[in-house]
Amino acid sequence: MTTSSRSNAPARGTFAWPWIGLTLAVVVLLCLFPPFRVVSRQPALSAAPTGGAAFDPVAFVARFWSEQLQPAAGRAAALAPILAELRRDPAAAVQQHARSADLGGTAYFFSRGSGRVTAVEKSQVVVAVDGAEGGTIAIRTGPIFGNAVRDGCGLLEVNRVPGLAEFNAVSAELNRLVEERVLPPLRHAAKVGGRITFAGCAAAPDGPGAGALLAFIPVQAEATP
Amino acid sequence: MKIPKIPTLLFAAAAALLIVVAGCGKSAAPAATGAKRVAVVVSTLNNPWFVVLADTARDRAKELGYEVTVFDSQNDPAKESTHFDNLISSGYSAVLFNCTDAQGSVANVRRAKAAGIPVFCMDREITANDAATAQILSDNYSGCVALGQYFVEQVGETGSYVELLGIVADTNTWNRSKGFHSVVDRYPGLKMVAQQSAEFDRTKALEVLEAILQAHPDINAVFCGNDAMAMGAYQALLAAKKADQVKVFGFDGADDVVKSVAEGKIVATVMQFPKTMARTVAEYADRYIKGERNFPQRVPVAVELVDKQNVAKFGDYGRKP
Repeated sequence: MTTSSRSNAPARGTFAWPWIGLTLAVVVLLCLFPPFRVVSRQPALSAAPTGGAAFDPVAFVARFWSEQLQPAAGRAAALAPILAELRRDPAAAVQQHARSADLGGTAYFFSRGSGRVTAVEKSQVVVAVDGAEGGTIAIRTGPIFGNAVRDGCGLLEVNRVPGLAEFNAVSAELNRLVEERVLPPLRHAAKVGGRITFAGCAAAPDGPGAGALLAFIPVQAEATP
Repeated sequence: MKIPKIPTLLFAAAAALLIVVAGCGKSAAPAATGAKRVAVVVSTLNNPWFVVLADTARDRAKELGYEVTVFDSQNDPAKESTHFDNLISSGYSAVLFNCTDAQGSVANVRRAKAAGIPVFCMDREITANDAATAQILSDNYSGCVALGQYFVEQVGETGSYVELLGIVADTNTWNRSKGFHSVVDRYPGLKMVAQQSAEFDRTKALEVLEAILQAHPDINAVFCGNDAMAMGAYQALLAAKKADQVKVFGFDGADDVVKSVAEGKIVATVMQFPKTMARTVAEYADRYIKGERNFPQRVPVAVELVDKQNVAKFGDYGRKP
């Protein structure tokens, strides 16, 4: 066998080159147009759902409230000029001072001011705002619903949290903190004729002529008789 | 016949390895240049609202210069998976996607992504942040917060009601339900006597409410997670001669329900904007195909309460111009 192998060596070399050429051609073709693909299943197996279980809206909002929202409330835009502009040109006022978190959604103002209480009702306190030439707002004191604080403050957006459900949970928790921390002392101290300083969010009127009595959700409020 | 010996065999083995390595590329090459085909995969075409969603996505993609194929999943995740198999092997450039299952559909989106095909979700969310290129979603929770407040105004702070849920695997079902309950549950005098899924289906809603009315004939209101169910519920109440006593609330802004709100048959619905969502995903896909890569993962689209006072402003699945 060994002898035979040696004696055939030159002939084998002659036959090997066509094999190599053919193989090279096939390899090039197969590399350019692979007949199959191997795709790792790992990403699918480790699919991380939105992770609602890991997200804690209470802790998130507690931190957001103290570290971001309260400092920002102190720097919010003055309400009196916004009310004046709303009377003159509502569209321009919304364009300049309001923001929306949704595509085509409600626009909200984030502002602060002071004024005199003109009425105390079941779920709101009506306030004549200082410097607003008769402009009034209704500060909500009843249950808080909706996304005015979440979307109006301009500090949060949906992609900061795992998903829409978590974003909604943030809104509900913010409303709960308003009810727990801001409203009780306000309801207790607000009297007709008394003074009030406030900061918070309000939905912009829906179109011209909708009136300038903004429903205001306070994130800060201090009333004095 | 000459048998190739060791060097040749080694060479052939190396070549085979090279082929395998070529096949193991992280992602498939995008569809052949110039193919420009876009797939619209929609959960069902058995509901007019989703027909509007799919048709608008298709029409906008066509306007942008793409060939478009619409795939109807018929609310069946298995069919949806088959559609993805087909569109992946056919080399589509993008998928405009309305899922059947928020979690179950994630695997399909991941397979498309692995094949280099971007997926843009519309209306219904998938529960992953790293699968779809972007998700354009109705702000269902906020819509139902507004609806819940109107529900309390119309029904009062005491009474009993039924809730008809949508498909339980759909996040929209729960975003709507949670938004509604975030308001209504604050009024302890309002009692929910039954909560049952009718799977967003008109006929099932009719059957489910008929059965519930046997046990609870004195309800004051029905909150339905979509308009198709609201119409089914209204039919059940009509058959039971209770349509004048029981207030029905829907969600979607479907044309027949908007007309029913104007006629006083349905108390209110919430207008979603399917055309806005569908156009937006088609435009996002176009921007992606043209090279843009920075898209927000989620974009909520506003919804609006439609009641008897403002119903004249709405029609044709949106606000009238």
